[in-house]
Amino acid sequence: MQIENLNLNYGAVAPEIIAAVTGVISMLVDALSPKGARKTNAVISLVGLVLALLAVVRLEPSGSYFGGMVTTDPVRVFFSVIILLVAIIAVLLAGQFLRDEGLPPGEFFTLIMFATTGMLLLASAGDLVTVFLGLEIASITTYVMAGYRRYDVRANESSLKYFLLGSFSTAFMLYGMALTYGATGNTNIAAIRAIIGEGRVEHPALLLIGAAMMLVGFGFKIASAPFHLWTPDVYEGAPTIVTGFMGTGPKAAVFAAFLRVFADGFNVTASPIGAQLQSTWISAVAVIAVLTMTIGNVIAISQKNIKRMLAYSSIAHAGYALVGFVTGDFAPVAFYMLAYSIMSLGAFAVIQLLARAGDQKTEIADYAGIGFETPALSFSLAIFLLSLGGIPPTAGFMSKFFVFKTTWDAAPHYRWLVIAAVVNSIISIYYYLYPIVVMFFRPLAPGFIKPRIATMTTVALILTLVGTFYLGLLPNRLMNALGQGQKAVAIQPRLGDR
Amino acid sequence: MKAYVPILIVFIFVLGFAVTNIVLSHLVGKRKNTRAKLIPYECGMDPVGSAHQRFSVKFYLVAMLFILFDIEAVFLLPWAVVFRDLIQKLSRPFVFLEMMVFVAVLLVGYIYVWKKGLFEWNRS
Repeated sequence: MQIENLNLNYGAVAPEIIAAVTGVISMLVDALSPKGARKTNAVISLVGLVLALLAVVRLEPSGSYFGGMVTTDPVRVFFSVIILLVAIIAVLLAGQFLRDEGLPPGEFFTLIMFATTGMLLLASAGDLVTVFLGLEIASITTYVMAGYRRYDVRANESSLKYFLLGSFSTAFMLYGMALTYGATGNTNIAAIRAIIGEGRVEHPALLLIGAAMMLVGFGFKIASAPFHLWTPDVYEGAPTIVTGFMGTGPKAAVFAAFLRVFADGFNVTASPIGAQLQSTWISAVAVIAVLTMTIGNVIAISQKNIKRMLAYSSIAHAGYALVGFVTGDFAPVAFYMLAYSIMSLGAFAVIQLLARAGDQKTEIADYAGIGFETPALSFSLAIFLLSLGGIPPTAGFMSKFFVFKTTWDAAPHYRWLVIAAVVNSIISIYYYLYPIVVMFFRPLAPGFIKPRIATMTTVALILTLVGTFYLGLLPNRLMNALGQGQKAVAIQPRLGDR
Repeated sequence: MKAYVPILIVFIFVLGFAVTNIVLSHLVGKRKNTRAKLIPYECGMDPVGSAHQRFSVKFYLVAMLFILFDIEAVFLLPWAVVFRDLIQKLSRPFVFLEMMVFVAVLLVGYIYVWKKGLFEWNRS
């Protein structure tokens, strides 16, 4: 790498810079205002996020900058939009959460902004080093956010577990990267792809082990089975809004990096080692996908706590998204993550409101009979749950349809995977319908207090509801846009050959 | 291998210096043992006793802050070393400003911990 042709281009990292600067500003505002600055910082963060969104839209369609560290392609653009939408909704919800719980307000927005910076970097990573950097920035901030309610034992448990297991998975990831570097002599994903394609791999076994370890690392972060064990405890203990945030944003960002490393970097069949690597990881991902869906859905059935139930549902959804991986195409995964993020955040927003301060009411039994007491909230929750279950005309149906259809057409060898996913979707309907039945057809639970809904929260709920129906009813525009971007990760002809 | 001979010489010199000092002070030095002198560390945790001792979180905060600002020096030093070479290839203000951005970010961190009262040891 020559120092003169690094291709330094600050426009190419404008979204990341805007997010980071906004985080720094909100940090200073918080430090310099003695009483804390909840509203100011919420506004600052929103402005920063909207500016970052504009910067993402104005990015050049493709390119490689900073010596290949940062790359712009459709994957980056779509996932950056998902990440920023998640962050905007999280900021809208954070105001009421912080006031109701009486928590120190300023740092929360700073953490969201820094997490967003890390996630954006993860989505734009063109080099294993940048992948690691983005992953760490996003992870460390979410560890802190998970323990934000620091006097609550459950939040402490959640934060500590997340931190320990997250570090553990990071070690796997880093080791995998080191072995891949040892095998190919490069950390740049495009260069690794070229080297594998030409068959210039020093030690093929190293490359396979390295890829396997990175698969474990990514598997941890997206909470896929058998690396999902941390998810229920962490999701249950963290404040609900943080659960919503870390179940969607970081997950989508890790999917972006996962796609770029595996569906792009390790997806060449021109050389024997490339073909071996590709068929190996695709089979591994297929097995992980089936395991993830099945474990997530089956265990979710027996959950009594709605946050735990949604944690297992989140595991299951990672499995559905992984089905799209066997096509080697990013479009179904991107669409799936967008739809999942919106409906999942919506569901967690309603749960946050119903749970009251300190997450007291998160058992499904607490929801008994509230259906017509707070119709707006209970109907929204019902819509989000039905969408998560994949009932038309919602986003959940369209995204599942898109993933399953693409996989069915593009990967004939993996049609069994689609069948498994459809069977799983049917199983999942049971536990998504259960809270709805409890809400509308049971007598009212004692001690129910109608929650107050702040304006910002209403805006967030309306956004997620509109998003759920928009993606379910009028997905054509987005799908066409995704279709035009499909060139990024070309479908390999030998896909699935064994 | 010849290139490593100076390192070997330095190594022997360092080892000799350390051994000489210890032996000399052992032979020549007077000894007056007090309780404070005999414990391994003058401040910090008592090494013998229950491990379930409560320990002020302030120590960890100070340690963390130390690491942060220590890292600043670690990054500044190589930058200063290659500065002359870098300005031959990249523009002078660019090389300078890049590091200033880094220092500015650290300065923000400094202001933050200062305003949050981390330097006030007596505050609860």
